[in-house]
Amino acid sequence: MAVFDPDSARSRRVRFAVVALVALAAVGTAGAFAADPSESVPEPVRFDDAVELGLSSETDAQMAGDATLPRVQVFYSQLQYVVGYNGIGSFVDSQRDGRTERQFGYPLVAYVETFDHRDPGTTESGLFAATGAGGWTPVSEARYVVGSDALTPSGEVVVPFRNREAAAAFVDDHGGSVVGWESVRTRSFAVDSAATVRSLAPERWRTANERLAAAERRADRPVSVVVGEDAPTIDAAVAAAPPNTTVRVPPGTYEETVTVNRSVTIAGAGSGRVGSAEAPTDDAEATRVVGNGTGSVVTVRAPDIALTGLRIAGTGNETRDPEAARESRDREGKAWDTNIQLGYGHGDAGVKAVRAPGLVIDDVSVDANASGLLLREGSHATVSGLLVEGADEWQDGFMGIAGMESRLTVTDSRFEGGRDGIYLHRADGSVVRNSTFVDNRYGTHLMYTGDALVADNAFRNELFAGVTVMTRPAGNAIVGNDVRNSSAGIQASGTRTYVGYNTLVGNELGFSTSARGSLYEHNVVVGNALGARATTVVPSSRVVANDFVGNADHATAGAGALRVWADGDRGNYWEGANAGPHDPGERAYRPTSPVDAALHREVSAIAVRESPAARLLGRLRGTVPGARSGSIIDPSPAVAPYHPDRVDAVTGAAAGDGPVRADWRSALAVGGNATGTEGSA
Amino acid sequence: MNTPFGGVWIVFRRELATVRRTPGYAVLAVGLLVVLGGLVAVGGGGATGFVPAVVDLLLPTEVLVPLLAVVLGYRALFADAASGELAVIRTYPVSAAAYVSGVLLARTVALVALVGGPFALVGAYVWLTAAPDTGIFATHAGVDSPILFVRFVALVVPFGAAYLALSAAVSTIATSRRSAVALGVLALLVGVLGGDLVVLRSLSAGAAPGGIGGALALSPNGAFRGLVFEHVIGVAFAPEGGFVDTGRAVASLVGWTAVGVVAAVASVAFGPRVDVGVERLRERLRR
Repeated sequence: MAVFDPDSARSRRVRFAVVALVALAAVGTAGAFAADPSESVPEPVRFDDAVELGLSSETDAQMAGDATLPRVQVFYSQLQYVVGYNGIGSFVDSQRDGRTERQFGYPLVAYVETFDHRDPGTTESGLFAATGAGGWTPVSEARYVVGSDALTPSGEVVVPFRNREAAAAFVDDHGGSVVGWESVRTRSFAVDSAATVRSLAPERWRTANERLAAAERRADRPVSVVVGEDAPTIDAAVAAAPPNTTVRVPPGTYEETVTVNRSVTIAGAGSGRVGSAEAPTDDAEATRVVGNGTGSVVTVRAPDIALTGLRIAGTGNETRDPEAARESRDREGKAWDTNIQLGYGHGDAGVKAVRAPGLVIDDVSVDANASGLLLREGSHATVSGLLVEGADEWQDGFMGIAGMESRLTVTDSRFEGGRDGIYLHRADGSVVRNSTFVDNRYGTHLMYTGDALVADNAFRNELFAGVTVMTRPAGNAIVGNDVRNSSAGIQASGTRTYVGYNTLVGNELGFSTSARGSLYEHNVVVGNALGARATTVVPSSRVVANDFVGNADHATAGAGALRVWADGDRGNYWEGANAGPHDPGERAYRPTSPVDAALHREVSAIAVRESPAARLLGRLRGTVPGARSGSIIDPSPAVAPYHPDRVDAVTGAAAGDGPVRADWRSALAVGGNATGTEGSA
Repeated sequence: MNTPFGGVWIVFRRELATVRRTPGYAVLAVGLLVVLGGLVAVGGGGATGFVPAVVDLLLPTEVLVPLLAVVLGYRALFADAASGELAVIRTYPVSAAAYVSGVLLARTVALVALVGGPFALVGAYVWLTAAPDTGIFATHAGVDSPILFVRFVALVVPFGAAYLALSAAVSTIATSRRSAVALGVLALLVGVLGGDLVVLRSLSAGAAPGGIGGALALSPNGAFRGLVFEHVIGVAFAPEGGFVDTGRAVASLVGWTAVGVVAAVASVAFGPRVDVGVERLRERLRR
């Protein structure tokens, strides 16, 4: 073989090629060590393409006129997605939370929106405002004005500029001082979190108590007119009654439609129901108001009207204004919102309220072809003992209560059939509690509605979901509800949402973590096809101290970075997680891994889990979480359920269909020992 | 063959031909590829990027690469001695150093091919498959970069070379094939577990934790792991570093290789004389 002849030309060529290859490899390797991968700095992206954390942009949109918030976009070392923060405070606050670095790595670069040449100033109400769109400047190169008279809805605003001169010019007009990034980075900002919402939940309950008590006092007025004695019809009686008196309506059937234009109480003999949540049984004792099948039966158009003890039927079947609702296909634009308000707010109802704040509904039942109760334009209402029986097919009927820009307080009511049990649109601060929802499309459905409390309700056989929150409102608390046999238990989007102490049994999906910067804790998730689903691409919520028992799959994750479902060394309880020969709580649990997911169903999965390969892979998880995708890990699964009483109440021998109540109000009360978790965005 | 370098070249090519004619080595490479590929595919790191892939691969690499190096090295010098070929080679003007260097160079080249090949294929797989889950949002690579994987593979080679040289040196004192296997396994165990066990032992005996960085770098595995943390995985964390003293760790890897080579040369060069000396000593004692 010629190769073995050291002096041949071919051998020399081979030798030359080898030397060249070695040299090339050496240069390449040296280059790999010489280059610094963390130095390649990505360019800023369109803010709309970033995954937004921190304040909701809807809060932004609600700010008057052209008010704005300085925004930040951050490229983290381990995260493939660009993270956008509304407000510099949100970003600074997130850097102080150790979880951010553990999950996403460190910021390779952060850009802040600067306001040079953008007419920075304030609105009439003092909110920071600017025109146009500015450039993006690395945070460390920007100059910041602090302590000026410009504000955000939550407090002081830090205004970034690229040039010192522009910053100085802003200071001349609005006061404050110019500082660098180092100073901004160490400031503390008042950033509301889901933990704040949690602490507010008991207070909202008490507020509802006060509203209900005030409503009761408001409705209690002296009788001035009795229908049948002083006036032939209810409508005539109302027209004859002086303000702040009661129109008494004796038992019987009244075939008419009523319009109420003054502040009176219409008191029937009763809706004929035994107990607040039961169907009417006693026809003879009831006061029945029956419309003619078109339009609304009772229309109220004045403040402080009360309707008590009535059974209403004969509503029209127009569910909404067909002209306005037709263009509602485009869900993205503002037009959609307007159309929904125009359309949904203009159908037929048992009771329709327009600009009627202080409305009181007590012991009323409605047999509704469209909506039961329709509130529009600031008709803040207090409802107790309402029963709405809607259409059998949700396409035929409409909402049990449809509230548009009207704050609603509901207790001890029942909603059967129809489209949504309660649909609220821009109804901040509403409270829905102690009520029962059966066979609706959605039980309680919130749109653009924040700071609400949905608590201690029971939902059964809901076609789409028990509680759903759409759009991106902030600060909702969904607490102590019991959802069963529905497509989904709780699907809440938005930010700073508190989902706690709910009992979700036998649904297709227990809950999804669609709300960002939120807290999901102390939920009992039993016997669902899927217990929980992680949805947001960039994890920003805490999921801790939930009990997952007997679900076909405990949890799955959609696209995005690894979700760590624990708070420090406190995890969730997963049935099966502690199976196998090791100390309880020692092994991390991954509900998204095929082996771990089968632990509570297949004993043989334990043997597979103990294989060296599975153990090895198990060890490797959890490192560089931001760069892992599509899975969930609980590093310290709990040894026993957090709420064995509630788990037992739905799985034990004595398990019934009755709603399970969690004592969340005392647990969340100040000084309660509910939890040590600190929520943050 | 006039220069020492010429001697190295001849031995190198002869040894390379030996390796090429041993199909078992190729099977080993395929096995390594299956294990690495399987881990990256099942572990999920490969679908996201190079850093998670390296995290998935670090532990198996620490075991499998030394194993492969020992398999390549445990008979490298012993085989020639056992078959008598070494005695023939001694009649040619090839120094012991040139002979050992030639053999080890050839085996190192084989190591680069057998280990580097599977790793390169795994790297290519990651490069092709790693992508964000969704395109709805703007994405970027973070610090993840093929450069980091090149660094990793570049660290794997000196790590394997150290084991190759050490196992070859150990093999020179073997007297039978069976003892060569035993000595190779011993070197593997001592190398893979021993260094870290010593560090753990010294810590539990009360050594100051401040010395971990230095002690870690002394064993080949510790040095390799430290370097991977420092220059590959650690890049994804806040830029602090300090997992290991880089200079010391590199010196350790090079040093272990040098120790192996020198020991092997000494053993080949002076082994026969030692044998003769031992025989003489025995004769004298018998009298």
